[in-house]
Amino acid sequence: MDTVLTITRRFAAPRDLVWKSWSEAERLGLWWGPKGCVIGVNRFEFRPGGFFHFAMHFPGQEQMWGRFMYREIAAPERLVWLNSFSNAGCGIARAPFGGEIPLEIHNEVTLADEGGKTLLTLKASPFGASDDEEEVFRNMFASLNQGWGGTLDQLEAYLAGQ
Amino acid sequence: MDDPLSLSFAALADPTRRAILARLSSGEATVMELAAPFDMKQPSISKHLKVLEHAGLISRRQEAQKRPCKLETAQLEKVSRWVEAYQHLWEDSFDRLDSYLFEIQAGARRGE
Repeated sequence: MDTVLTITRRFAAPRDLVWKSWSEAERLGLWWGPKGCVIGVNRFEFRPGGFFHFAMHFPGQEQMWGRFMYREIAAPERLVWLNSFSNAGCGIARAPFGGEIPLEIHNEVTLADEGGKTLLTLKASPFGASDDEEEVFRNMFASLNQGWGGTLDQLEAYLAGQ
Repeated sequence: MDDPLSLSFAALADPTRRAILARLSSGEATVMELAAPFDMKQPSISKHLKVLEHAGLISRRQEAQKRPCKLETAQLEKVSRWVEAYQHLWEDSFDRLDSYLFEIQAGARRGE
């Protein structure tokens, strides 16, 4: 997969406990979300095809909705889902504040057991960003070993010099 | 989906197009100059340029027959901004997950 963004993080906790932080709604709602918002879990179906549908409450603002649509679940090591903004009915929605962001983001999390500690890797890419989703996927797989990292670094340096 | 950011990501999904953008970051270039480092005919490069132009990532001046290509930074900045914002969202969340894991393990040790 041609990943746009990769984040790794090592947690001082056993893998089963880190996995539960993703697989149980009452835990997930405590840590996941944009800074400064309180998450209200509306729907939680932790299975392929199921939804995590949540309200994001920011102080003094109207609530926004978001959702995860789970695609693959392999406890306790791998989770794949599509992330997007949502409406109250769990339908897919554009970002309520406008601005340009992808409609759906494909995310993959893997958890590696490191004897009491856990290495988490998150890989994210905009999903179906084309009239022809399949073509995008072919393009992504075609460049399997070429991340965007190098190009984006180069472009960042260029933009910084403007 | 035909919003500019989606088009940009679709355009960036191809390694040849990313290489073209990298080349253009060092200055304007014609189709012939852009085709030189690739094992590709000019029409193939022109197709890639059309995709990049449609996504707003490059522009082309009408200058005699040459039509040099130029990197359009505004659209690229939007792409960079989104990637950064999404990274921050997860980094912040992982900070909270880290604290949460610390607290519940400390609580378990205290017998709570």
